[in-house]
Formats: sequence, structure tokens, C-alpha cells
Amino acid sequence: MFDRDIWQEIFNTIRKNKLRTFLTGFSVGWAIFILVMLLASVNGMENGFVGQFNDDATNTIFIRPGVTSKAYAGFEAGRRIQLDNDDLEYVRQSFPDDIEYISGRYYTNTTARYKSETGAYPVQGVHPEFQIIEKTIVISGRYFNETDFTNKAKVAVIGKKVAEDLFGKEDPVGKFAEFNGLPFRVIGIFTDEGDDNAERRIYAPLSTYQRLYGNTNIINQIALTYNPTYDLTKALDFSERLEILMKRRQKVSPEDQSGINVWNYAEAFDDISSFTTVLKAIGIVVAFLILIAGIVGIGNIMVFTIKERTKEFGVRKALGARPKQIVNLVLLESTFITTLSGFVGLLFAWVILSLIGPTIETPAFSSPSVRSSTVITATIILIIAGVLAGLLPAIKAANVKPIVALSDK
Amino acid sequence: MIEIKDLHKSYKMGSNSLHVLKGINFTAEEGELVAIMGSSGSGKSTLLNILGMLDGADSGEYNLDNVPIKDLNETKAAQYRNKFLGFIFQSFNLINYKSALENVALPLYYQKVNRKVRQEKALKYLEQVGLKDWATHLPSELSGGQKQRVAIARAMAAEPKVLLADEPTGALDSTTSYEVMDLIQKINDAGNTILVVTHEEDIAHMCKRIVHLKDGVIVEDKKIEQVRAAQYV
Repeated sequence: MFDRDIWQEIFNTIRKNKLRTFLTGFSVGWAIFILVMLLASVNGMENGFVGQFNDDATNTIFIRPGVTSKAYAGFEAGRRIQLDNDDLEYVRQSFPDDIEYISGRYYTNTTARYKSETGAYPVQGVHPEFQIIEKTIVISGRYFNETDFTNKAKVAVIGKKVAEDLFGKEDPVGKFAEFNGLPFRVIGIFTDEGDDNAERRIYAPLSTYQRLYGNTNIINQIALTYNPTYDLTKALDFSERLEILMKRRQKVSPEDQSGINVWNYAEAFDDISSFTTVLKAIGIVVAFLILIAGIVGIGNIMVFTIKERTKEFGVRKALGARPKQIVNLVLLESTFITTLSGFVGLLFAWVILSLIGPTIETPAFSSPSVRSSTVITATIILIIAGVLAGLLPAIKAANVKPIVALSDK
Repeated sequence: MIEIKDLHKSYKMGSNSLHVLKGINFTAEEGELVAIMGSSGSGKSTLLNILGMLDGADSGEYNLDNVPIKDLNETKAAQYRNKFLGFIFQSFNLINYKSALENVALPLYYQKVNRKVRQEKALKYLEQVGLKDWATHLPSELSGGQKQRVAIARAMAAEPKVLLADEPTGALDSTTSYEVMDLIQKINDAGNTILVVTHEEDIAHMCKRIVHLKDGVIVEDKKIEQVRAAQYV
């Protein structure tokens, strides 16, 4: 295989038959080009979907209270369920091994003012751990901590857009802004990969807001992340246990879907992963079918070539070429052409992707790219394709009877 | 050198079978130059194909340089052809995308001779046939006579025991034919065994022995006074 003479023969043949070689290679190069583009597109879609979700930690569970839809345990349907600090503590203590971080969420709105600028923004009262659950990235200053929380400090972490709106070019960190007339010290600014709306938001300690709103202990939602080592099955199992516990505690019928809702990211994420997996599978199948067409094309041209070279193979055999040597020659030639043209297709696809890829940035489709695993797979496919395409013609060539090949009739 | 005993060969033609060789007995010593003559259908090509191991006989014995040639698989046949035989064809059968030198070197390639030695040997044989200056030319750049001389050089490159020439002058005009025969005679003078299949009387008479085939049997086998081709060149 690494015989210099064989390669010289192959290069010779290729050089003498440029058009034929080009036509042969084109079909496979084209197929690989499509394969890579398809996979990259699916990859881009996947990136798009995941990008919309990676705003939050993917092992998040939300417990959302609602209104019961079934009578249960002596209560009528239509009862509004409310969660409070005790529920949160109860959950935290019930699942010490399952829960990684847990935080309450208290929603409200505020009119914020700094000097002459005002604006209305949603405020969320949360625990310090919420930073990790929501993957909030603080770009300046800091998030509030346990001390702020215990002291019910009037501190706030504001979104980047809020900072721009209210403070303009001033650095907000350390300054005081009025939220519904009460002074809050801005201690940090955050950014969010999700979208602009997420950056028009204000976070403050849950305890502070509970005190401000009449010493309540109500929370609107419990957000938690489970043990990150859990796989999907374990995660789903945990969220079910959680749901049963919460329903029992709030006396909600186990069949009631609206009284308490435990929403697990894993489920949604699982749906999306299976969706992109199916897309990817379709992409691969389609590309493979095209590749098969390419291989048949090469095989076809090789058969024709063999026919054209029948006499040559006859002469070679008369001069002492063994059948194996003929097979090698044809196989190497077809593999070489397939691999080379496949790489050209691959390179072409790669160039196009790196030129236009970074410019595509829509929610559903972002940075399509070729992974190195794709390249390696494609290479292996190419070599196999080359062998397959050349195999039948090669055997045919090796079986050429010199006597038939050399007859002048 | 060549020993053939009671060789039979028939071809299936649909439901009929055509008996082409009906018991050939033939021997050739080392250094002989034998013409095999016969009209078309006499079986001379079939005999040559069997001698050249391109085709197998149905029955009979064939010994080449005391090696029995029987039931060869493709690989073995290829090996024997390479070692024992050099072919010269009517239509030259040079590989058209290889230079004269590469064509001559091809049998040596299949003998796994290393590249440098191969080139040297090939050049030596090209020189013997007077085409050293044409070594880098493609067959398409050569005249018919030159092509046949390259083919002869190629047949000799592997230093075979026997040269088999199938109508070597069939595609050439008479002057060129004599030049080629002159070359074949000189190669024979050097001690090589050569079998020439031809249907041309004058060519046959430039050999040392004529074997006549008719309807699958040898009807005549005589030694003759060789006509030297050099006088016509």
C-alpha cells in the first residue's frame, strides 16, 4: 500500500484522465459537502434550542402553587394554594441529599427612580442561592449574600438594561435608587444570556421584600436545583417524590394537576434533546442516501474505466501481475479519489461554515459548526465508501482473462 | 525447453463442442526459433494461448523448462508467466499512458525488482532494440515498428526462458516487418528460444523451423535454411 510505484501508477492514471477523475470525485465530494452541511445545520438548531434554555441551570425544578381543580380532604375545588417560608424549609429538610440549591421567589413590580430617571421593572425577591439556580452573571459589584438576607438589607442587584436606563453613563454600584419610594443600595449589575427582558429585572433579598410587604412569609414559587449527578430517570423520580410530598402537605388531590405544579427542566430538556436527536438522525440518513448515490456513481465510473482498461489489465496479467495486485491497484485508485474528493467537499463545507456560520445568530439557529468527530466519521465513511465503490470493479478487473483482453477482435 | 504430449482442447459453442486441438505433440529445444503456421481456425492461436498459460488444456502434458504446467491458479500462472515467458503481440499492447521505459520496466516491477535496478535494466534492453533515445516517449509518439521494438524489449526485460510472438509483424508494413524479424533473429542468435506464430510465408522462412498446423493437428514439422532478414533491411 505504501509502495511508491503503486502511487506513481495511480497518479499517472489520474493525470492522464483528468475529466474522468473529476467527474468521479465530484459525486462523492458533493455528498460529503451535503452531509457536513446537514449535520452542521442540525448542530446549529441544537445550539439555538439549547441557547434558549441555558439561561437557567438545566437541573432546575420549579414548584408553583395554583388553584385546586378537585375537591379533596374535605376542601372544595377552587381553593388557592399558597406557599410560605415553612414550605421551603420543609422541602429543604425533606430532601437533603437530592437538593443542591433551593430558593424562594417573590414576584412584584416596582417603579424605580434615580435622580430624574424613572422606570417600571419587575422585582424578584429571592434567596442568595438563586444566583446559581438562574445562572445569573454579575458583571459589576456583587450578588447579595446570607448576611444581607438575614439583615433584610435593602440592597438590589439590577439588570444591565436597568442600569443603562436609570444611571446612563454613571456607575450604579454603591448608589442608592428609590424603589416605590424606598431607598435601595445597588450592589451589583448582572447580565443574562437569555434575552433583553431578562436584563430589565431587579433581584433583591426575599426577606427584605417579605418585610416590606407587611411582614408576610408568602413566597410565590420555590426554585431548586437537584443533585447534578442525577440522570434523567433519577431526576424524574425525585420530582415525582417532591410532587407527592407537596400535594400531601397542601392537601391537594394526587390527581390534581393545577393545585401544585412541579415543573422539571429535565423533562423539557429531554423533549428537546430527543427532538434534535431525531433531526440529527434524519440528517445523517439523508446524507447517507446521497453518499450512497455518490458511491454508486463512483462504482459506475470505475466499471466503465475497467472496461476501458480491460486490455491494459490483460497485458499486466500476461506480464505477470497477480490478481491481488490488480485488485489493489483499482481499490487504491478508487479509495484515493473518494478520499481526496471527499476532503475537498469537507474543506469546502468548512470554509462556507466558518464564513457564514458566525453571522447566523437567530434564536432557533446559532453558530452551525463542524465538530472534529464529524470530520473523523466522514473520513472513515469515505475510506469505506472508496473501498466499496472500487471493490466490485476491482474484482471484475482482476478476473479479466488475458486471452480475451488481448484478442484483437 | 518445451515439451508437449497429446494436447487436447475443445471449446463449448452452445450445445456443440468445438474440438480445436486434437492431440498435439511438440518439443522445442533451447535456442530454437520456431514458426508456427496455419490458416485461421487451424488452432495455432489456441496452442499459443496454452503455451503462454493464458488458457488451460483439457488433457495432455505440458512441461516448460522441466516444470509441469498443470492446474495453475491465477496467482501461480501469473508467477510462471512472469518467470518463464515473454509475450510479443500483434497489436503491441503497450500501456499507452506509460513511457517506453516504464513499459519495458513493467515485468520487472511484477518481479519486485527495485526501482533503480529496474530502470537500469529497462534502459539496457531499450538500447538493445535501438530505442535508448526514445525512453521517455509515450507509445503514441512512436511508429509501429518502434512500438513493436519496445514490446520486444519489454518481453525480454524479465529474461524469460521463452519468447512467444503472436503475429509480431501482422500490423507492420514489409520493410518494418523485416526490421522486427532482424531483431528477433539477433535475439535468437544470442541463445533465446523464440516461438513465432505467423501466417506469412516469408516471415516463417526467417525462422529455423516451421511447424504447420491444420485442423488441430501438426501436419508438417521441418527444419529449414534460415533466411536472414538483415539483407532486406
